[in-house]
Amino acid sequence: MASIEVNGKQLEVDEEGYLQNLEDWNMDVANFLAEQEGVEMTDNHWEVVNFLREYYEEYKIAPMIRILTKAIGKKLGADKGNTKYLYELYPGGPAKQACKIAGLPKPTGCV
Amino acid sequence: MSASLERGLDRFRESLDADTAGFFATCVRCGMCAEACLFYTETEEPRYTPIHKLQPLKRLWWREYTLVGRIAAALGLSKPVTGGELADWSELVYDSCTLCGRCSLVCPVGNDITYMIRRMRDGMAAAGYAPPGLVGATRRAIELGSPMGVQLATLQAQIRHQEEATGLPIPMDREGADYLVLLSSMEIVNTPEMLGALARIFDRAGVSWTLASDAFEATNSGIQIGVAELAREIVMRTVTAAERLGVKGVVSPECGHAYMALRWEGPDLIGRPYRFEVLHILELLDRLRGEGRLKVDSTFNLPITFHDPCQVVRRGGVTEAPRNLLKMVATDVREMEEHGVYNWCCGGGGGVSAIGRAEELRLKAFGKKRGQIEATGAKTVATACANCRVVMEEAIDHYQIGVELVGLTELIADHLETEESHHG
Repeated sequence: MASIEVNGKQLEVDEEGYLQNLEDWNMDVANFLAEQEGVEMTDNHWEVVNFLREYYEEYKIAPMIRILTKAIGKKLGADKGNTKYLYELYPGGPAKQACKIAGLPKPTGCV
Repeated sequence: MSASLERGLDRFRESLDADTAGFFATCVRCGMCAEACLFYTETEEPRYTPIHKLQPLKRLWWREYTLVGRIAAALGLSKPVTGGELADWSELVYDSCTLCGRCSLVCPVGNDITYMIRRMRDGMAAAGYAPPGLVGATRRAIELGSPMGVQLATLQAQIRHQEEATGLPIPMDREGADYLVLLSSMEIVNTPEMLGALARIFDRAGVSWTLASDAFEATNSGIQIGVAELAREIVMRTVTAAERLGVKGVVSPECGHAYMALRWEGPDLIGRPYRFEVLHILELLDRLRGEGRLKVDSTFNLPITFHDPCQVVRRGGVTEAPRNLLKMVATDVREMEEHGVYNWCCGGGGGVSAIGRAEELRLKAFGKKRGQIEATGAKTVATACANCRVVMEEAIDHYQIGVELVGLTELIADHLETEESHHG
């Protein structure tokens, strides 16, 4: 099992760097993961991360991109619930990258 | 030879049943299957010819089960199937085949190529050449009971929202209900409005229904990756719940292969007949329409077309129900040129939408559907599979073509005759 070290604590991550335990997450961990992803966290970035944390708290699932844009659109308005805006914040894929920083599992689609 | 390769080749040997051997022996090499495959028509690459996707399986058959092949093999004139070959074929068997069944439909000698691809996937999975996206989905299906990782808590949260939105109860584990209704992962997460739509329709039509907390999910990834044991376990989950609740029927959702798995393959997988009827949601709605229990009091008046989900229509046989329903609720229905059993796939069925590395190819293959949709002039496409819907929505976003997708069940719910309008 791979791990990362934040504030002297070893935290388990999966082979793609997603946190294994949701409860290991805090803002320092988020900043560490964001730095690894090359993302500089602004208020708009945090808004998405916090949204994802709340979404997961309620639905117990990491949303794939289509679901994320739809759900953000509902809550924060159409100017934020679109792929263009979210890709500007998270160029490595809004759902995947933001979920990683939010400490969620990797979002998956259907089959 | 590695142990996993040997395991895979053993699966190939097991899958060389009379049907498959007969199909290989009767293939007349006409190539008509190429023109029937959207991965070939959209790329014009000969390797996407459906029968070619089976080449390793065919070689194994030829070397080990035909006289000439066995002599050739004994004389060292043909090479055995290798791991490298299977690795090369992974893209052909998984990424570029949505199991849409169009090749089987057009084959002049009646070879079910899609069936053989399924058998080959069995061996490929056993040998370790299934794509990571599908392996992950299957692992989640085993560990969490859902390929997308949907949990009961996910469904319960959606139920709360939909009960609030509709003011109607969404029954769970109700014994003695007439119908056990299943959902697809994608519906639960992406289009939970479907739940509300069902609640409204069933309330209005007086249908007694329930969901089951231990079998709410119809998605059967065992079928797509090619693991019969898993496919059986997933079907059994539904059968157990249906028999426990004593329902008369099980309703398969707006999902393609869920219907194939449950309606057509389930009894074979579990080795006995069901004690209940299996219906696709559109079949149930069409039955209610025929009985005069499903009525609309307004219509959708813009041009609209219907995308036939392959597993529901071509493979599943539910051809007329969607058309009857669409004609009831819409005034300007425009069929695509090749529709019904001759439809073209969205490009993401058969597990392809879960294969990350296949994205570029999938978007290219969508060219076929795009052309079909644009030729109708309709800006709204109704369909009856949540996966088709997401695959097409993503492609439509990608190409910026300004077309809206809608689930047929939801469309009907939105135009449903209400209590007030009925009496008013």
